[in-house]
Formats: sequence, C-alpha cells, structure tokens
Amino acid sequence: MSVLVPRSDVAEFRKRYKWMSLFVLSLFGAVAARLFQLQILNGDDYAAMAHENIIRKVTIQTARGIVRDSQGKILASSRTSYDVHVVPIDVLPSSVPEARLPKRLRGAPDSLPKVAEVLRVTPDEREKLIIKIREVCATYDPQARTSPCTRQMLVREDVSRDIITELEQHRDELTGVRVVATPIRFYPYKHLASHLLGYISELDVDALAKYRPDGYESLSGEERERLNPLGYDRRDRWGAGGVERTWESHLRGKRGWEKRLVDAWGKDRTGPAADRLLDPPSKQEPISGRNLRLSVDIELTQAIEKAMFPYRSGAVVVTETQTGRLLALYSKPNFDPNDLSGGGGRAKAREAFTRLYADPYRPMLDKTMSGAYPPGSTFKPFSALAALESHSVNPEATQRCDGFIRYGNKSRPLRCTHVHGAVNMRAAIAQSCNIFFFKLAEATTLDPIAKVASAFGLGQRSGLSINPEAGGRMPSRAWYTQHYGANYFNKGFTLNAAIGQGDVTVTPLQLAMAYAAVANGGRLYEPQAVVAIETSDGVPMQEFEPRLKNSVAIQPEHLQRVHDAMRDVLNSDEGTANALHDRSLDVAGKTGTAQPGVHPSPNEKPEIQWFRSRNHAWFAAFYPSHTPEISVVVLVEHGESGPQHAAPVAMQVIREYQRLKVTRASKAKP
Amino acid sequence: MSTRDTLLARLRDNFDWVLFVTASVLAMVGVINLYSATSVAKAPLNEVYLQQIYWLVGGGILSGFVAAVDYRHYERYGYIAYGVGLVTLVLVFILGREVNGSSRWIYLGPIGFQPSEFMKLFLVLALAKYVNADARSEGRTLKDLAAPAFIAALPAALVVLQPDLGTALILGLIFISILAMLRIQRRTLGHLAVLVAIAVPAFMSFGMLGFQQKRIEAWLNPDRDIGGMNWDPHHSRIAIGAGKTWGAGFMQGTQNQFHFLHEQHSDFPFPVFAEDWGFAGALSLLFIYVLLVLWSIHIAASAKDRFGAALAIGAGSLIFWHAIFNLGMVTGLLPIVGVTLPLFSYGGSSGLTVMLAIALLMNVSMRRSSLSTIAFSSR
Repeated sequence: MSVLVPRSDVAEFRKRYKWMSLFVLSLFGAVAARLFQLQILNGDDYAAMAHENIIRKVTIQTARGIVRDSQGKILASSRTSYDVHVVPIDVLPSSVPEARLPKRLRGAPDSLPKVAEVLRVTPDEREKLIIKIREVCATYDPQARTSPCTRQMLVREDVSRDIITELEQHRDELTGVRVVATPIRFYPYKHLASHLLGYISELDVDALAKYRPDGYESLSGEERERLNPLGYDRRDRWGAGGVERTWESHLRGKRGWEKRLVDAWGKDRTGPAADRLLDPPSKQEPISGRNLRLSVDIELTQAIEKAMFPYRSGAVVVTETQTGRLLALYSKPNFDPNDLSGGGGRAKAREAFTRLYADPYRPMLDKTMSGAYPPGSTFKPFSALAALESHSVNPEATQRCDGFIRYGNKSRPLRCTHVHGAVNMRAAIAQSCNIFFFKLAEATTLDPIAKVASAFGLGQRSGLSINPEAGGRMPSRAWYTQHYGANYFNKGFTLNAAIGQGDVTVTPLQLAMAYAAVANGGRLYEPQAVVAIETSDGVPMQEFEPRLKNSVAIQPEHLQRVHDAMRDVLNSDEGTANALHDRSLDVAGKTGTAQPGVHPSPNEKPEIQWFRSRNHAWFAAFYPSHTPEISVVVLVEHGESGPQHAAPVAMQVIREYQRLKVTRASKAKP
Repeated sequence: MSTRDTLLARLRDNFDWVLFVTASVLAMVGVINLYSATSVAKAPLNEVYLQQIYWLVGGGILSGFVAAVDYRHYERYGYIAYGVGLVTLVLVFILGREVNGSSRWIYLGPIGFQPSEFMKLFLVLALAKYVNADARSEGRTLKDLAAPAFIAALPAALVVLQPDLGTALILGLIFISILAMLRIQRRTLGHLAVLVAIAVPAFMSFGMLGFQQKRIEAWLNPDRDIGGMNWDPHHSRIAIGAGKTWGAGFMQGTQNQFHFLHEQHSDFPFPVFAEDWGFAGALSLLFIYVLLVLWSIHIAASAKDRFGAALAIGAGSLIFWHAIFNLGMVTGLLPIVGVTLPLFSYGGSSGLTVMLAIALLMNVSMRRSSLSTIAFSSR
C-alpha cells in the first residue's frame, strides 16, 4: 500500500509558467542591459577610474639651493628637522572606552607619560596634551574610516638628535610615536648678514590665492604649470626677504613626481606586474635648486658685527670700488633667520616675529637700503665737486669762519662746529667747516649741486632690489617748486643741502656707491650681491659682470682735490678724524654728524626719545686712498658724533679688510 | 523488483542532467572565482575556496540523500520542519552571537550556522504543503490568502528583528512567487496592490533602522560618501566596468588584486568575475543563471502534483531572487542588501541552502515520469 497521498490537481498552475518565465527573462535582461552599459558603453571610463585608483603620484622632494659667500663659506643651506607626532589612540588607549577600542590595543598601557618624559614635555603641557587627546578620542568610532583619534598629532617640532636617539632606544615602550623628517632652512652664521640673506616662511593666504586659486586641482597640467610654475603647495615655505626672496625662482628648484602602484591599503606594489600596469611617463625628475655665490665676505661681516658692538642701531656697507660688488651689507639690530624659517618650530617663529616687530630699534628694517637718512657732512665732497665743476669757487681762496654766520634778517645765526678761522676748500673739507660750505652754496646755487649729487646716485635707487629700497632725496629748485609752489624757495634750502641737511636724504648703500665712484674716477656702479649662479654640483651656470650705471664727467684734477682733502680728514692735524690716523692704513674719508630732522614722538619711552633726539654719526671712506679698492660707509644711527662713533668702526673694518687680504694672499701662495 | 534496482533505474532514466550540469558548472566557476577573489587576501580568507569545495562535497552528498527520498514524504513533515525552523530563529536571540551588529548565527560547538538561511527552505516546504492542500477552482480572496501570508510573515518578522532585511526580503519574495502560481480574484489583486503601496513606504520610513536607511540614501546618491557607505557599490561598479568586453584575465583584475573590493568572497564575488572575464564572461554567467531558473520553472510545469510544482517554484524562486538581488546590488541597480550569489558566494549555510534547493528541484524532476510513481507505489 502506498504511503503517499493521492496526487493533487496541478491544472490551476498551468497558465502561470509562461508569465513566470517571461518575468525571469525580463529581470535578467535588465541586469544584462546594465552590464552592457557598465562594461561596453562606459567601460573605458570605468577602466580609467580603476587605473586612477591604483596609481599615486608621489612627490619627489627637491633641495633648496645653497648660498655661499665669496670665500665659499655656506651662508644658507638646508638641514633635516625631526618633528615628533603621536597617534592619539596608540599613546593613550585609556582615552577610548574599552568596548570601542580596537582589539590590538585592549589592555595596552598608555605610552604618553613615557613619550612626555623623553620629549621633555613640561607637566603643564602634558596635561594639556592629555586633555586634547581625550577630547578627540571621546567620540572615537571604530567603524569610521578616519578619526582625529587615529590621525597623527604634532607634539614637538625640530627635536634635537639626542632626543631622537633616545626615542629610538625606547622604541618598544613608545607605541604610537612617529618621527617625521622635514627639510629646514639653516643659516650657520645666524644673525650675521641676516638682512642680506633674508629668511623663508610659509606662503601666506594671498600668495596661495594667486598660485592656487579655487579649482586649481581640476585644472589641466599645462594650466597649472602656467599659473604656478614653481609648484607651490599649501604649507610650502618660500623666500620672504633678502636674497632668499629675490632669488627665489633660482633657489627653489622644482619638485618631481613618480607614479607608483598603490593598493587600497596605501601599500606600494612592485614587481613585473606592477611595471606592466604603469603607463608612461612614469616619472618626472625633480630639478634641484640653484646655488648662489655672493660677493659678500662673511668674515668681514663678522668684524663689522664686532666693531658695531657698542651701538644699538646702524648700518655698514662695504663695496669694491672697481666693480660695485658688495663685500658687506650690514644692518643693526639684526635677527636670526633660523628662528623665522621654521627652525625650532612654528611657535618659535611666531614668537620671534612678534618680538622683532615690537623692537623700537627696528631689527626687521634693512637700514643699508630701506632707510634714508640725512647724510650731513659726508655730502660735502659732492658740494665741493659741484662748485669746482661750475667754477663758482676758487678752491685756493680762503673764507673766514667765525663760528656763525647771519643770512638775511633771520634772528638766529647759522652755526658752525668750531671757529675755524680762514679755511680754503681743502681745509674746509678736512675740518668740516659749515661756514665755508654755506658760502660755497651761495655761490654755486642748488641745481648744480643737485646735478652732481644725482649723477653720483644720491637720492636715487641703486638697483639692488634685495630688500625694498628707499629712494632718498636730492632736492632741486624744480623739486621745491613742485612740492611747495613757486614762491616757497629760499636760499636757506641751498645752504642746508650743501652740508647734507634739510631735505637731502640718502641710504648708506647709495652713499657707499657714490664714494666708490668718487674713488674710482667717476664710474658709478650698480651694487651687486650675487656674482654667480651655480648648479647644485657647483658648476657655474651664469656669472654676473659688474654693471656700470653712470659715468660721471668730472675733471680728474677736481676729483684729485677732493681726494686730497679727504686724506687730510685723517692725516692733517686739524682733520676731524685725525685721532684715528694710522700710518699703516692709507684711508681717505669724510665724517658726518647729521641732525636727524625728525623729532621723536612724545609717546615713546623716555630712553627711546633720548635716543632718537641724538644726531646720526656717519663716516664714509675709501681705501687705499691712492689705489682705491673698497669704499666703506658706516652709519651709527643716533650715534651722536661721526668722528667719535662712526669713524672708529670704519677704521676697524678697513683694518680687518686689509688683514684678511694679507692672510688670504699668504695662504694662497704656497 | 528490488528497491535498489528501481533506484538505479530511476537514476538512469530520470536523472536531470540539465539541472545537474548547470548547477555543477556554476559551482565550479564559483570556486575558481573564489580563488581569484581571495588570492590576495590574508589568511584564513585566502583559503575559503578550499572550504567552499569541502562544503560543495559535503552538501553534494547530503543533497544526494535529499534528492533520493521521494519529495512527497517531505510533504508530511512540512509544518514540523517549519516549526523547527521557527524555534531556531527564536533561539538566535537567546544563543546567537552578534556579528557586525546583528545576531544571525547559532553555534553548535565549533560549527556555526544561520537558521535564517535554512528557514527559506522550510518556508518553501510549508507553503508548498499549504498550496498542495488548498486546491480551488475559483479565484482566492484576501481572506483565503491570510493563512499562507501568516506562514510567511512569522519567520520574516523574526528575521527582520535580527536585523537581516535581505533574508526577510527573500522570504517575502519566495512567498509572492508561490502565490503567483495561485488563482487569485482580480479584485483581491487590486487590494494587494494597494496594500503593498501603503506598506512599503510606511516600512521604509518607520520600520527601517539607521544603517538600512543610510544604505538606501547611499544608493540614491551614488557619488556621495564614496569613502564610507558608497565604498563597496562604487568600487564594485568600477571593477565591473573596468572588465570591458573581454576582461583583464584570471586573477588580473586590479580592483580586487589591489584590495579595493571588500566582501569579495561573500556578497561581492561577481565584480571580481566581471573584472576578470569582462562582459563576455558576465553574460555567460548570467545565461547559466537564466537556464537554471527557467529549468526550475520547467520542472514545476512537469511536476505531477501541486506539492511538487510549488516545491520547484519555491526552490527556483529562492535561487532567482538571490541572483537578481545580488547582481542588482553589485551593479548599482538596487541598494545594498546582504544577499549572496547562489553557488558563487562563499558561505556554509547559504551554500548548503542553495544546494538543498537544487536537490529538491532534482527530486521533483526525477519523479515527474510515471515510472517513479509506479515503482514507488508498488513497493
């Protein structure tokens, strides 16, 4: 007997099977159509996306060029800075609730205390760090792909090598610590020549907006190249002053890239299969930054720093008279570009900037070219040359100096420094007699003086654009008419101008170039700081010849007269700098003690007011006086007296120049 | 005639070679694809193709027994099996272990299984038994459908609570598929349409959990949150599309080899296959599925009784809906619901369920001829 029930009637279902089959076919048809769309119609797009997924362009870093002085000493290079980061969840697993902690960290001890100990973090800072980590880890979600709790956090920048070694030694106890090496600009001479070299700093918002405007990432390669040829990126540093800024495009170099195969976990894939998948071009070699060779002699700058030690503020320029190349460009107070360029970390840079900009002696100002000052008596040689050229004064004729002179109906007489008695032009320069020059100015009038001074580059930008250049001012009749109207001018302006006061202002750099021209027979050079561009291997790529700016037409015997007078400044018993006369040093120069012309603000601190009320001390010179090699200009800002404060500095610099020349020559011989 | 002779004879004369070959080809291609899919994975994932083979062998033997016993014996135990299934579903909440936020697994010693997978088969059995007994000459009304609806709703509700929307969906679709065989009044169909039109949006706005809603949202905005919710769908589409016409070749698909595809052994084996073998391979695979499903309809059509026909439709719909939902979600036609690709995805419980479904199909298919009836009834 059958154990099974009788068969039931299946007639009810018969009509359905056809429809079911159709339904099945239509749904599978839809899937087939979708596959056709994905694989055939859009296959190329998806293949491209798939390719993009596995290719990463890895940036190849490049090194910024090295800056060397005339002797090959490194003034600016790069070093490695070690920044220490921590992964919050790894150093402080206790900040995440046990249930949400990844398995590998269950029961793991906090390594943060040890990290803090090795990094010499103060207890205060440590507490702050712990609070910060607790904050970012409080909301940690193990499901989320990224979280600030698993992202590395910067703890210390530019850590010393000792600490890095210590971190290495305790590596087992220090889970979650990451050391990241980044290149940092390094200035081995620190403060020396800081204004000349400048510093580097992070690109500001404006620069980024210029080089990487919105939508930059989606632009084509060519457009990006056009917009941002040097390839600036966020958080990049660039030259922000001095040679670093002006020569940025040469120093920077350009990053390269290399295509790598990377899987979804971020791991590199190599091997033959990888090579097959990489499409050419697979690499763009980086271009390393060019090296610069400066004309500056850092050892001479060292001597200047030493000579300027007693003074708070000032500038010294030393230039070669035959080429216009700068041997020293020194401004005081200066700054340590290492602090501003990221060495020691961002916080240190911020602190340094704040301090430097608040300093009343203005360390961030390059006083050699960004500041214009009344030249005082250092201007007199140019007045004398103007008088000689226009034959308005007989140089041998004497004038009487009673110590003061009255002009017109002015109640107050114009004063001289001393009662000089009868002086001719030579004596008037040597003894810096104002009365003589007043009379000379009266006879010569303003415009011929202005013409000669301008021809020597006074009151005109020199063309060395390393730092923003102040123009200075050499006023003429036309200038007064233009600025004050036709009836404003009076003879007093001419008299003041002749002794480098009134409206005359110059930069120390201008004065140095002008004195070099006086020394070399009238050839005014454009100042040069960079003499050559070299490849990173030291092969010269481009050398810069001296550039003559102007040849001043002055009769040689007139120049000779001025030279003689300037020698007397030191050599004659009555010379203003006779006290510094040195038989072994054949120096010609001119002292200057200039009234600042600007009154100190009553809001300043009393000592600053006192400082600012004092005269500027100048000394401008060339050496050796018969075969001039260098010209030296010293400005001790508010230094009071040219002969007493500026001239000794200049003499010391010249002495050092000579010493260096001799020792180097003797070294070179054998 | 001995039983042994009749069994052999039946095997010889009635063995469904089409069903067997289609299923076998699918299983073999599936193993080969698993090998490719997990070739770069870390241990123990890189050995799942071996385990899949063990499962196929073990499941194949079990399937042999299931196919050998006349399916009409199962009819008697239909509700009992269904009841046992419900009990295991309840046990999940008591003994179940939580994996990825939902409890689907029961562990018997070292072996874990998902009761919800086997529930699909038990539901087919129970519904087939109900349909078998419920022969009618005129169309059914809403009231007539209440009982089978209840049979389907009970396990579906338990599965929704796990929560496992994908399986619940398959249970519901199996129910609808078997329902589609029945004669239903036109008016009732209208009522059902209205009911669905109200229930589905209502469930979507109130019944779905946060992550389920997020999946729908992600599906509607395929270009958003590619790093998160849309990672799998996005990279799945890229892998499929990158296969183009002929594919990259076996184990050459970069998106899988470079770890961009996740769950490539469970829910996403198809993108691996489509990237390796291109449109040509994908279409061939699709053809095998179509053949398998259409053949199960053919088996139903030639079944001798209502139970066998309903069994075949139920088993066939199980395979069909799994395939459609899996392919739909990996191609972006449907949101992500965790539904495996039959015989392609690795998975003990789900693989075994599909193999048993095929065994039931084989069972029905082998007993459509008169020989079997005579042989069995004359014992």
